[in-house]
Amino acid sequence: MPYPTDPLVLSGVWASVILTLMVYSYVLFRETPAFRFAEHTYISTSLAISVIVSYDTLSKNAFTPLSKGDLTYLIPIVLGLLLYTLPFKEVRWISRYPLAFVVGVGTGLAMRGAVHAQMIAQVLAAITLPKAPQPIDWFNFFFSLIAFLTSTSYFIFTREHTGVLKIPTKLGRYMIMLALGSYFGNTILFRMAMLSGRVEEILKVFGIIPWR
Amino acid sequence: MAEVDRRVLYWVMFIALAIPFISPLGLPVPITETTKAVYDKIETLGPKNIALFSIAGGVSAWPEIAPSMVAVMRHLVKREVKIVIWGFFVDQDITVDMIISNVPELKTKYKYGEDWVYMGYVAGAETAVAQLAADVHAVFKADKYGTPIDKLPLIQKVKTAKDIDVVLTVDTGSYILYYIRHWNVGRGIPVAEIGIAMQADMIVYYPVNLVGVMIGVRGGAEYEKLIGRLADGTIRMDAINVSHLLFIIAIALANIGYVMVRRVKK
Amino acid sequence: MSNVLRRREIILFITGIVGGLNLFEYFFAVKEAAAVASAIRTWVVIISAFALGLGIITAFRVHISHVKRRTKGQWPFSIWLMGFFVLLTLIGLWDTKFIVYDWTFKNVYVALSTTLYAITGFYIFSAAYRAFRARNIEAAILIVSGVLILLRNAPIGEAIWTGFPILGEWVLMKGQVGGMRTLTFVAAVGLVAFGIRTLLGMERGYYGGE
Repeated sequence: MPYPTDPLVLSGVWASVILTLMVYSYVLFRETPAFRFAEHTYISTSLAISVIVSYDTLSKNAFTPLSKGDLTYLIPIVLGLLLYTLPFKEVRWISRYPLAFVVGVGTGLAMRGAVHAQMIAQVLAAITLPKAPQPIDWFNFFFSLIAFLTSTSYFIFTREHTGVLKIPTKLGRYMIMLALGSYFGNTILFRMAMLSGRVEEILKVFGIIPWR
Repeated sequence: MAEVDRRVLYWVMFIALAIPFISPLGLPVPITETTKAVYDKIETLGPKNIALFSIAGGVSAWPEIAPSMVAVMRHLVKREVKIVIWGFFVDQDITVDMIISNVPELKTKYKYGEDWVYMGYVAGAETAVAQLAADVHAVFKADKYGTPIDKLPLIQKVKTAKDIDVVLTVDTGSYILYYIRHWNVGRGIPVAEIGIAMQADMIVYYPVNLVGVMIGVRGGAEYEKLIGRLADGTIRMDAINVSHLLFIIAIALANIGYVMVRRVKK
Repeated sequence: MSNVLRRREIILFITGIVGGLNLFEYFFAVKEAAAVASAIRTWVVIISAFALGLGIITAFRVHISHVKRRTKGQWPFSIWLMGFFVLLTLIGLWDTKFIVYDWTFKNVYVALSTTLYAITGFYIFSAAYRAFRARNIEAAILIVSGVLILLRNAPIGEAIWTGFPILGEWVLMKGQVGGMRTLTFVAAVGLVAFGIRTLLGMERGYYGGE
């Protein structure tokens, strides 16, 4: 793809790179007014998009059905508007009503899903024997099972981790560290991919690498 | 060594990331089991199937997940699978525009309303996911563009989770868990994750609750190789190679320094 | 009347009922309960869409206060933030395809969003160099596990030694599964316990209760 020549596209890509460099001036140099400007621009655009999307969604999925005669939509619309009393101390108590619905439903849904997917399914997966197992499969099965049992024992807080609990809880800590180390390694992939995306953009716009 | 200004480290990383774009290494990307599993699942689908493409990631995560999104969408279009798109992030319209610009077949080959629909944003996190599983039409009265659902033949066929053949969730947070809880458990709908690298811990749900897991930009690069169309994901892997090597060097130097200091103190 | 409506028992009652209804609907196939639960969930989806606007009120309160107090080094940015927000919102509510709005979101918002999110990449590198020391066995295991995953994720690992991706893949698919499964399991136990407390009215933090 050739380097863009359309003024609108060109202005856009240069604006995006200049803003990127403004943000990175904080990291690579020090806090500058350029960084503050970019930061505040981001906050204002995020807030604007939230309002517009919120209005658009409500308009289509709540106000329009209400205007067509479905009066049941009045209840959630009123409750939603009551939420806006939350930032004001004197009338904050009113916002508890919509919050009660949100928290109640959210709690009920989370609980019913968590029991099966995160508890029962995990235990079943831990104790299910490998199918057509090779020796390595048996090793993996026992390793995972022992890791699961010992890590879980680490979370027994009603008894001291001494005596019969000493070795399993210690082993459990090591297994948790193994898992967290893996999480850390993947976090690095994530962060580096994000950073490389911006570096690539800068190089493209400055013409150091071909435009794709 | 330990007292080096952090900004020096930042510049080192910045420059190191630039080098592989200027002079690519071009190392091959091996395919992993969990990405292949997503590919294999989509290979079983065809024009009679409906895939849900759920966007639960913002534009801020594009460098990580955009290659995966585009590659999977290209595959779905190649298999002529019907596609329903909805999402939970306020900036997802820009993401959908990006996908369309990279997969123009959505406009040229597919007919909007019959072969694919974009329903727009829905608030409510887990509540929304649970309610969509039970009754899609209760949540969406019109698509993103304002077309009422009774004028969209595809969404008329999708009333509950059972009308979807696979859920592909582009995820930067907890939505994969919501889909597992409310779409997979109890309803048996296959769910696959197109996630950021930090979502790799979802492996614990594979293969029982998850059909497959694509891990970050690496998953995107693998998928590009599988569909035979190398793109951004593959190009970005070179920068990943250099940055990861730099990290290992940094950790090694940190620990060598630590051991040396301890010896001196003793 | 407002004294009655302020009573926390009403809030706790509503929370318990709607939560309990969603649990009841899941475990018992009663059509009427399912219908009511479904309707309430739709209400919550709509209420959540209103919540997006809450951030604006808080942001404006903070920035108006900066402008009033002429906070040094801050108040011009606060004016810019509020002014730009109002301009973009008015344009967007009028027409999201209008050139200014479209250009701003495709170039300004996307760039700033990805850049600000990516900035932590620098910090994590600095942290790896300065703080990631194998001071004890746990830290050593964490580092080794992390490095193996790095060498699995980056194809250069295979170029250095073909065993690295094999070990890394083992750590990801088998080694870490036990520990991660535990974290998932105990998080669920905590969630259920907290959920029961919330539905029984023992947790009041969500509405700012005493």
